[in-house]
Amino acid sequence: MDIHRYEKIWIGISLLFVLGLIATVTYGAVGAGVKTIGNQGGTVNPNDLQNTPFGNPGVRKVGPNHYAVYVVARQFYYQPGTGKPITVPAGSDVTFYVTSADVIHGFEVVDTNINSMAIPGEVSKFTVHFDKPAKYGIICNEYCGVGHGSMQGRLNVVPQSQFNLTEANQ
Amino acid sequence: MSTEDVAEVQPGSVESPAETAGLDDGIEREIDHDEFDPIGTVILIGMYMLILIIMWTLMYFVEFLGHGPSIIG
Repeated sequence: MDIHRYEKIWIGISLLFVLGLIATVTYGAVGAGVKTIGNQGGTVNPNDLQNTPFGNPGVRKVGPNHYAVYVVARQFYYQPGTGKPITVPAGSDVTFYVTSADVIHGFEVVDTNINSMAIPGEVSKFTVHFDKPAKYGIICNEYCGVGHGSMQGRLNVVPQSQFNLTEANQ
Repeated sequence: MSTEDVAEVQPGSVESPAETAGLDDGIEREIDHDEFDPIGTVILIGMYMLILIIMWTLMYFVEFLGHGPSIIG
């Protein structure tokens, strides 16, 4: 087959571009360490959250500089998050466990790459490292009913010196 | 080209008069396959490709990886 030299060049550049796309995504996963949320959170009975760790949602210390945050999304608030902000210390790893008690919700920390679904019966488990103090908003990005537009929460990352686990759960 | 000539051409041959008949009239200059040189099209597609590469780089490295914190586990 007679292939024009421009077409040969174009095929070569296209293949390089595809390899480039794969290389950048591989770098993101391996080099920058960005992970996706899997099914490692397990399942839970959404009608009986009281007898699970979600019966007492909030912040727990699970290791040196490692915290766990249990969040229940409901129509139309996060518990904790909406009534009182989720508070975690800067410079720590935080593992979130997010589920829903009623319908599918979203759990998006605005202006970051933290974004998960909250599915009744499923636990979304993901770990985030917070470098420095900041205040973030949380919004629901899955339509969940008439109050969806006002479903929001807050996430405060405070300096280590100002963090008090008891206060964070009051 | 007479009608007898047309009838002698085998189906599937390269220069099928059925396809080229009537088109020969406008030919001013015949060139080889590799003499065809659409440099303007090449430059235009090259510019599109450059824009695509720049946009992907900005989107992935600046908008995505630059917008931490990210999920690390």
